[in-house]
Amino acid sequence: MFKNYLIIAWRNIVKNGVFSAINIFGLAVGLMSCILIMLFVREETGYDDWIKDKDRLVRMHTAVNIPNQPAFLTVRSAGRMMEAIRDYATNEVETGMRLIQWGTTVQHNGEGFAEQITMVDNSFFNVFALPFLHGDIESSFNKPMDLVITEEMATKYFGRTNVLGETISFCCLGGNPITLKVTGVLKDLPDATHLDANFIIYLNPAMFGENDNVLNTWSSLNVYTYFKMREGISVEQLQDRINYWLNNESPMVNMLKERLGDAANGLQVTDTFQLNVMSVPDLHLNAKNDAGNMGDLTPMGDQNMINTFVVVALLILVIACINFMNLSTAKASKRAKEVAMRKVLGASRTQVAFQFLSEAVALVFIALLFALAATEIVLPFYNEIIGKNLQLMLFSDPYLLVSLCLVATAVGIGAGLYPALYLSKYLPGHILKASKSSESQSSAKLRTGLVVGQFATSIILVISTIVVYSQTLYSTSVDVGYQYDNKLVLNIRATGDNLDSLKQELLNLPQVTDVAFSSESPTQDNENNNYFSLVEPNQQGEKLEPLLLNYHHMDYGFFESYGVNLLAGRFFDKNYGTDAITQLPEGHEGMGKASVILNRAAVTKLGFTDVEQIIGKTLVLNDHELTVIGVIPDIHFRSIKFGIRASAFLLDENRFRVANIAFQSNDVSGLMDDIHRIWKQQVPLQPMNLQFLSEMMAAQYRDETTTAQLLLVFSALAILVSCLGLYGLSAFTVERRTKEIGLRKVMGANVSQIVKLLIWQFSKPVALANLIAWPIAMYAMNSWLEEFPYRIEQWYLLPICLLVGLLSLSIAWLTVGGNAARVARKNPVHALRYE
Amino acid sequence: MLKLHNLTRVYRTEDVETLALNNVNIEIAQGEFVAIMGPSGCGKSTLLNTIGMLDSPSSGEYWFNDENIAGYSEAQLASIRKRNIGFIFQNFNLIDELTVEENIELALLYHNIPSAERKAKVAEVMDKVGIAHRAKHMPSQLSGGQQQRVAVARAVVGEQKMILADEPTGNLDSVHGEEVMEMLQALNKEGTTIVMVTHSPAHADYAKRTINLFDGSVVTENVRAA
Ligand SMILES: Nc1ncnc2c1ncn2[C@@H]1O[C@H](COP(=O)(O)OP(=O)(O)OP(=O)(O)O)[C@@H](O)[C@H]1O
Ligand SMILES: [Mg+2]
Repeated sequence: MFKNYLIIAWRNIVKNGVFSAINIFGLAVGLMSCILIMLFVREETGYDDWIKDKDRLVRMHTAVNIPNQPAFLTVRSAGRMMEAIRDYATNEVETGMRLIQWGTTVQHNGEGFAEQITMVDNSFFNVFALPFLHGDIESSFNKPMDLVITEEMATKYFGRTNVLGETISFCCLGGNPITLKVTGVLKDLPDATHLDANFIIYLNPAMFGENDNVLNTWSSLNVYTYFKMREGISVEQLQDRINYWLNNESPMVNMLKERLGDAANGLQVTDTFQLNVMSVPDLHLNAKNDAGNMGDLTPMGDQNMINTFVVVALLILVIACINFMNLSTAKASKRAKEVAMRKVLGASRTQVAFQFLSEAVALVFIALLFALAATEIVLPFYNEIIGKNLQLMLFSDPYLLVSLCLVATAVGIGAGLYPALYLSKYLPGHILKASKSSESQSSAKLRTGLVVGQFATSIILVISTIVVYSQTLYSTSVDVGYQYDNKLVLNIRATGDNLDSLKQELLNLPQVTDVAFSSESPTQDNENNNYFSLVEPNQQGEKLEPLLLNYHHMDYGFFESYGVNLLAGRFFDKNYGTDAITQLPEGHEGMGKASVILNRAAVTKLGFTDVEQIIGKTLVLNDHELTVIGVIPDIHFRSIKFGIRASAFLLDENRFRVANIAFQSNDVSGLMDDIHRIWKQQVPLQPMNLQFLSEMMAAQYRDETTTAQLLLVFSALAILVSCLGLYGLSAFTVERRTKEIGLRKVMGANVSQIVKLLIWQFSKPVALANLIAWPIAMYAMNSWLEEFPYRIEQWYLLPICLLVGLLSLSIAWLTVGGNAARVARKNPVHALRYE
Repeated sequence: MLKLHNLTRVYRTEDVETLALNNVNIEIAQGEFVAIMGPSGCGKSTLLNTIGMLDSPSSGEYWFNDENIAGYSEAQLASIRKRNIGFIFQNFNLIDELTVEENIELALLYHNIPSAERKAKVAEVMDKVGIAHRAKHMPSQLSGGQQQRVAVARAVVGEQKMILADEPTGNLDSVHGEEVMEMLQALNKEGTTIVMVTHSPAHADYAKRTINLFDGSVVTENVRAA
């Protein structure tokens, strides 16, 4: 019986070549999109699931919410929090651990390699029970400066895995070169983890010396804090306990009073300062909400993006299913005779329905084979776009295989159920009597409705794609207030005393026009914030409390090199000799003196409307009095996504971390080679980190660009599948109306009239689809755009909608027109003899 | 074998009501060969479809093997039908996507018969109607007469006790028409009940009894002397 079904299914597939091809192609595209997105989603949602006791592990994030100021968020916390909470919340916390991640250089065989090192409390392996390859927790990690590395690093530096007792030299840790002995080797961590732990070092607090603002601090946020909760404790319970501690027992209670004075009355600590714990398996996708504009240990995922693409995959599948439903029911009359005959011979409706259903499922499985092949082919390109290393391991991954089969079966049933019920409904007598079954009005209506739905969906996707793309282009084209072309950013953390000679050598290169140092280059942001107090009353005559300003350090000539405008006053100038912050000598009495440049937002925040008025006023920061010497516009120092902050620009040579190199050259790679040569001479044994500023700017929008690119690909696929369906449907309609068209021609209609007639019939649903899609797309895109402080104007959406409407109609015309013209040109005699 | 009592069939469309069968009373015994004749539109096909349980009467009784099946559901009718009745149509109604062999086998498919046994029966019946050499052909590759022979084979392969034939020779030339009639007669001799609609008096002569319909009513019944 089943064999008979398969035989007839197969012969129908072969006989109706075009219809089958459309169906298989559409379903294959839908399934391929589904597989691609499924692979991505599975990796993204599976982060850290492999860690033992993962549900008992949490990380603590910090949020500072001072009224009238933007919230400050980070996934890090202050160094003293861990111990305090661990020892307080003994019923909830089994153990706690701090983690510090630093970039450093491994020096090996006369070469330098940039690596990340992870310094952790000794409880690290009690929290993360990572499996050892050589050594174990007791013997490998029991004293300060013990070093555990991964298999991958052992192989990289020694060419083998058992490297216990070998030494590795780092330059530098805490300013000093250091050589450590490898005491353990770990198995490599899976890709799907938020940890980036290749060199794990037993934290030695002595390393941080006296002025320890890493470990011994309540306010500097430099460590990642993890807790392992006791069995049966929920994240909420621990959170409640931490909140209670913050509000009642913590040093923050007094700090709040000191900072805000009387204003602190009636305020709880958690009103302005929160420590939020997040379950470790949630970190990859949810840390973004807690991270502000600072990163995490590894690039963070984005739940919204995942949701978007799951929806897109489902939509494409639905569109493909609709094709199948439409074409099958349109063709139904062709198979009515078969259905009737089967029923005459004793088949029940269930049996006939089951037959059609199995045909649909068989077709979907054929499509699945094509989809898998296509996935293999496009996977490398896909990985490139999303920046991942996904693989389709069908046979070593039974879970994937089974879920794909389930998806295919579900799609088969979804696509085949309606046609099966529809086709199996025919009563045998009804059909055998009338030689041709006449099509019921309702099923034709339903088909039109489905076409409308298909096109509306595709149109929404296309509009969204265009809007996302436009916004991304717009973001990259907004005037940031400085020139970023022809700039290279060189990391100078490791240069030590050679800074001046390095600068001189660089300036000697003919292509280099300027070199300016700074603490950060544009796009870099370390969230340096501090309290500045205005000494004089402001323009309103008020005496202000200290205000939180963001700050950077810039060398003489920095703003000139970047072509930044000046609104008032002057830039830093070496000739005055009074601009730079200097380290005050031991036992110095009174305040040091230096200068500060403010941006427009800072001027406003300090209560000045006239930029000239603030020139000459004094701001106090720690032990320095800073004279305001200049005001610049609100330049977008970081991504425009994050908006403008009130910022102060200072000059402290000790804080310089990058060289901003301006150049004029057509031979960029020659210039890079020259810089590299100078670096090797000046800073031997350190890897060079040189980037184009324009590329760093572009990288800020990588998430949006990726989303836009993926949307583009998937919405193009959606349109393609919809058009195929329309093509099939029009081919069928034209075929069914051959006789009518012939008659019309006999009556005197010409080709163009007939083509118009048919095109109009198929334009109506597409036009209707546009009217449905536009408001939905506009609403969705408006709310999406709202997230961006700088965004394309709302009215842009209207021309985009009109454009897409026109586009969809022309595509529909192209699709239908060919079929219509073909049949309209046929000799009517031929057509009439047909029946 | 079957008995129609005051059987009426009314077709209702939006504005017209057609009385296709009007108070028909007919009795057909096991082993009979009955021809139904009458002008076009008089209700022959409707009668045959009703007897074949493809259509249900509007009123009246239909006794089949001592069961009044007039009010039975689709499923109940299907189950009686597939065990007892085979059909032959004027336009053959073979399934274009299946070979000769598979078309015949289709009649056994819904009877829970093991595959090997099905194959044997199909082979046997193909021999009987002389179509065995065309077993793997598609219907479109056969002549009309050959197609109708396949349809006959399909109607009898399940050892149905009754065959209903609606103008089985209507689409055939006289030579092929005779062939089919011979085949039906042979089947009748083996004990199969045959009810056949025909416009051809010559073919009606094969039957032992002829029922004449006019405007939905039985006007005369002629029994041919044996
Ligand atoms: N589905 C239907 N709906 C409405 N009226 C119908 C339907 N089927 C048949 N009729 C009408 O019932 C009457 C009997 O039709 P039927 O097909 O039984 O005639 P027939 O004797 O078989 O004719 P022919 O010799 O042309 O095949 C006719 O008047 C026909 O128009
Ligand atoms: Mg008829």
